[in-house]
Amino acid sequence: MLTAFTRAFRTPDLRKKLLFTLGIIALFRLGSVLPTPGVHTENIALCLKEAQAGDANNIYGMVQLFSGGALLKLSVFALGIMPYITASIILQLLVVVIPRLEALKKEGQAGQSKITQYTRYLTIGLAILQSTAFIALARSGQLFPGCQQEILLDKDDVFGIITMVLVMTAGTGVIMWLGELVTDRGVGNGMSILIFAQVIAVFPAELLRIGQQKGAFVFAVVMAVGIAMIALVVMVEQAQRRIPVQYAKRMVGRRMYGGTSTYIPLKVNQAGIIPVIFASSLLYLPQLVTSLFSNTQEEPNAVIQWINQNLVTGDTPAYMITFFLLIVFFTYFYVSITFNPVEVADNMKKYGGFIPGIRPGRPTAEYLSYVLSRLTAPGSLYLGLISMVPIVALALVGASQNFPFGGTSILIMVGVGLDTVKQIESQLQQRNYEGFLK
Amino acid sequence: MASIRQFVRRFLERPGSIDLAPFERIVRAAGAEEDRLRKAAELPSPSMDDLAGFCAVAREAADRALGLRPYDVQLVGALVMLSGNVAEMATGEGKTLSGAVAAAGYALRGRRVHVVSVNDYLARRDAEWMGPLYEALGVSVGWIGEASTPEERRAAYDRDVTYGSVSEIGFDVLRDRLRVDAADLLLPEPDVVLVDEADSVLVDEARVPLVLAGAADAGGAVPETAALVRRLVKGYHYEIDDQARNVHLTSKGIDTVEEALGVELYHDTARLTEVNLALHAHALLTRDVDYIVRDGRVHLVNPSRGRVALLQRWPDGLQAAVEAKEALAPSETGEILDSITVQGLITRYPGRCGMTGTAVAVGDELREFYDLKVAVVPPNRPPVRADEPDRLFEFAADRDRALVDEIAEAHATGRPILVGTLDVAESERLALNLAGRGLECAVLNAKNDAEEASIIARAGERGAITVSTQMAGRGTDIRLGEGVGALGGLYVIGSGRHASSRLDDQLRGRAGRQGDPGGSVFLVSGEDDLITHYVADEYSSGVPSARLVAHAQRVAEGVNAQIHRNTWRYTRLLERQRDLVLERRDRVLRGRTAGEALAAAAPERWTGLTGALPPETGEEILHGAARQIVLFHLDRCWAEHLAYLAELREGIHLRVLGRASPIDEFHKDAVAAYRRLLAEVESRSVATFESAGITEDGLDLDGEGLKRPTATWTYLVQENPFGSEWERLTNRLATKIRRR
Repeated sequence: MLTAFTRAFRTPDLRKKLLFTLGIIALFRLGSVLPTPGVHTENIALCLKEAQAGDANNIYGMVQLFSGGALLKLSVFALGIMPYITASIILQLLVVVIPRLEALKKEGQAGQSKITQYTRYLTIGLAILQSTAFIALARSGQLFPGCQQEILLDKDDVFGIITMVLVMTAGTGVIMWLGELVTDRGVGNGMSILIFAQVIAVFPAELLRIGQQKGAFVFAVVMAVGIAMIALVVMVEQAQRRIPVQYAKRMVGRRMYGGTSTYIPLKVNQAGIIPVIFASSLLYLPQLVTSLFSNTQEEPNAVIQWINQNLVTGDTPAYMITFFLLIVFFTYFYVSITFNPVEVADNMKKYGGFIPGIRPGRPTAEYLSYVLSRLTAPGSLYLGLISMVPIVALALVGASQNFPFGGTSILIMVGVGLDTVKQIESQLQQRNYEGFLK
Repeated sequence: MASIRQFVRRFLERPGSIDLAPFERIVRAAGAEEDRLRKAAELPSPSMDDLAGFCAVAREAADRALGLRPYDVQLVGALVMLSGNVAEMATGEGKTLSGAVAAAGYALRGRRVHVVSVNDYLARRDAEWMGPLYEALGVSVGWIGEASTPEERRAAYDRDVTYGSVSEIGFDVLRDRLRVDAADLLLPEPDVVLVDEADSVLVDEARVPLVLAGAADAGGAVPETAALVRRLVKGYHYEIDDQARNVHLTSKGIDTVEEALGVELYHDTARLTEVNLALHAHALLTRDVDYIVRDGRVHLVNPSRGRVALLQRWPDGLQAAVEAKEALAPSETGEILDSITVQGLITRYPGRCGMTGTAVAVGDELREFYDLKVAVVPPNRPPVRADEPDRLFEFAADRDRALVDEIAEAHATGRPILVGTLDVAESERLALNLAGRGLECAVLNAKNDAEEASIIARAGERGAITVSTQMAGRGTDIRLGEGVGALGGLYVIGSGRHASSRLDDQLRGRAGRQGDPGGSVFLVSGEDDLITHYVADEYSSGVPSARLVAHAQRVAEGVNAQIHRNTWRYTRLLERQRDLVLERRDRVLRGRTAGEALAAAAPERWTGLTGALPPETGEEILHGAARQIVLFHLDRCWAEHLAYLAELREGIHLRVLGRASPIDEFHKDAVAAYRRLLAEVESRSVATFESAGITEDGLDLDGEGLKRPTATWTYLVQENPFGSEWERLTNRLATKIRRR
């Protein structure tokens, strides 16, 4: 991986692309720490410290993770990439529902660019909504429940509030543009790179905190475990079962190379990171429910009490077991949705492909789902175990929600990292040719 | 003020096109010199530093040499091309003359120009027609055609300006890449290319790479298999996909075939391939649409030009399967030796420009693939052609009846009629229908292309009915007969919309040339291929709406643009590898690299042979033999490399199921294969060198196949038929919801 980077830096046009990407990331980070006008920066810093010191989990965990800590700082890029991601998902759903959009999509590149344009409009719409909501929370003091500091300079200045909404919305627009710039002129997928940047942005501070609070030994153990985990994740993410496929459409003569180049790669972790995100989002629900009930000041009933004791913080066995089981369930669910053996078999049949020795159509679909279910079992256990690590660590060393080697963070990091390195390598390989008769 | 209004109009109607104002200023300045030049007995030799002066001289020269005085807009068009852009000039505005002025301008700047056109007929016509103008300007000109001999080609390429069709020039480039003697090379270094009918050449033709194939062994198709698939029933035994590009057996079909052949198909790849090819020939290729049979041979019909593609053949056994289907004697099968995309060909030239009647619609593609901008040159006289809205029918039979009625009605007034049909079979059916009504017509299609010139010459006369395929599209100039203008000029009727609106516009453009009167109408039915192939799921019955027809055309254009883009994305790496191989090949061809490499790899054999050969000529003979050996294996391995990559590309979209990017995966595997290629060339060359008998007469390399261009074939590679992950998720949810 490192050799790929050093070689890339020696190739002029790739170096330009890499530097361009790094420059965009730097700009992006700058915007993430730049406070929005009208925010009381000192008070926010105080509140943040208080929130981190306290053991109260905040409900913004996932959002906070994706915004690299920018959200609670109410910075210019506070909303991060979430509005764009949400907008893309909504439009992809709408394409299925609205015939006009479906028709557009079929018109190829031209139609697709129109849909992209709609996605951008929707992103801006969502950004206005979200920034208004967050500033409203900040105004009423609910952004940091328990922190008594005033985090806006003047919460009754209507003009000032509008300015803040506009700035954050504009920030989202700029992020969208930065992401597209990276995709066009840099390396890797812009949006993934920006998420990647946000996820690792919290690393140094968190590691430093562990070092300061728990001492050098715990720090060393955490580092060692973290590196071992990254190695494990890299290994499993690249593991795949190759099912050979043939296309009997051409008479072929002599061959230089044997072996098959055509295959379906089935990954051990075919589902990627989505099951973890689904599972943790679902586990926020009991927490939300109890916080709603706790406002009513009444004596909580037994169910609420049990939830409060077992499902709100991650250090109880009940939480851990539920989390684990949810991840296993969602892995199966997601794989069954995204990899439809019948659809794949149909498609292969349509283009004349077949698995040697197996008839196209139903037999192929059955074979594929047999192999897939065998692969998904270890895949789901792996995802579950990796995701447990931060919770266990939380229990052992008392790290915060932002624990750097959290399952989600590592899966994102390794995923984006591998993709980007692969892309760089692919571009590098196109430029390096040597050999006979040179 | 006028220029601002023009600017706004350009921005609104033709976004992305370039500003004409500077060119118009130059042409106005040229007007000032006109009178002085008109009186001059001998034209001064123009200086290219003074563009206005050049324009004035070119105009006077064209007037004297050809009797054609270029209009201002024609000179503006020439200047647009001289500055490296694509000029969009309305059909019939005299692009040929503009192009010749631009080509002469480049030549006077000391550059070598290739004028690329869509077919040999136009290349020769334009070169001969514009010859006197070039001569008057002191520029030499030549042309090449399919029948040109190597000597004629060499002579033509030596001229300042050379006219040729894109495939002829492309095949010359490909043939040059396989020469084994440096003295046989034909083409000079590429310099400037001027592309006539730029959208057709650069976009439509670019979907299919030019492929140079060599004859391998005789075709292996078995007539019994062809007979077997003939018995199969569409929809029961086999199915065809929406866009009629792929066919596959159903499980019923597999049962039937396995029973008839007595084998398990999916354990016997060779048999399966044979059946698949026979089925492809049977179900997807239609006689008189995709090919015609003439003199006992199968001839391919080029879909966008409607002409026979003489040298083209289907590779990999498909040609033999079609021959078996038509019960013809099998010809030898082709093996792909080398290929080049139109992009690869055109971007070799450092200078590029072009002209066409329909460029703006493909402006994005021209910019994306060729770095070319479009300038819209206004017509000299405003067009007065009356384009009627489409007439829409539910059933093709209704449309066909209405078509004959419309022809009969217009014919009664004496107005000449040009009917554009979509394929050969349809043109012949229509001619029969017309004969049934007692109407006589001339048919112009791939089968009688020899009479093209005479049919076109009569097409504008009073009372003429001409039924044509796309052959009467681009570049065809139909002159109106006497008194025809008063009747409303030429009436163009399209029997259906083409897959691209540009082809429709080209057909319409046969009427109303240079301000003549004219009219056009298209008759579309819900059973047309355009509707059934591209928007089948949005249309069920009833008269299709005009909006649906336009949408279908956009879908078709989108699909084609995607094919173009994929062709380019997947061949870019290939062409880069080819360039590197060629660089090496060139050193082998012109120098002693091969001998030195072999001497280093097998020093004992080298010394042994040197001792056995006469001392004064021995070394030269050895180097010659080494060159032959290495060139042979280099070309052989390259052909195998191409076959491997074609296979790799066919199934690369499956990688997306493992969440990998197909194009990156393709690159990864292609680069690894390239490394193996070089190693393989080396080991095979050394092995041959060790064993081959090299005598005073040099090396006897027997059994080398003949290398001649024969086939081109393409198939659709959809990079990701499974959709992205989110698409898959949502589609799956949607189907579940709908099912409930």
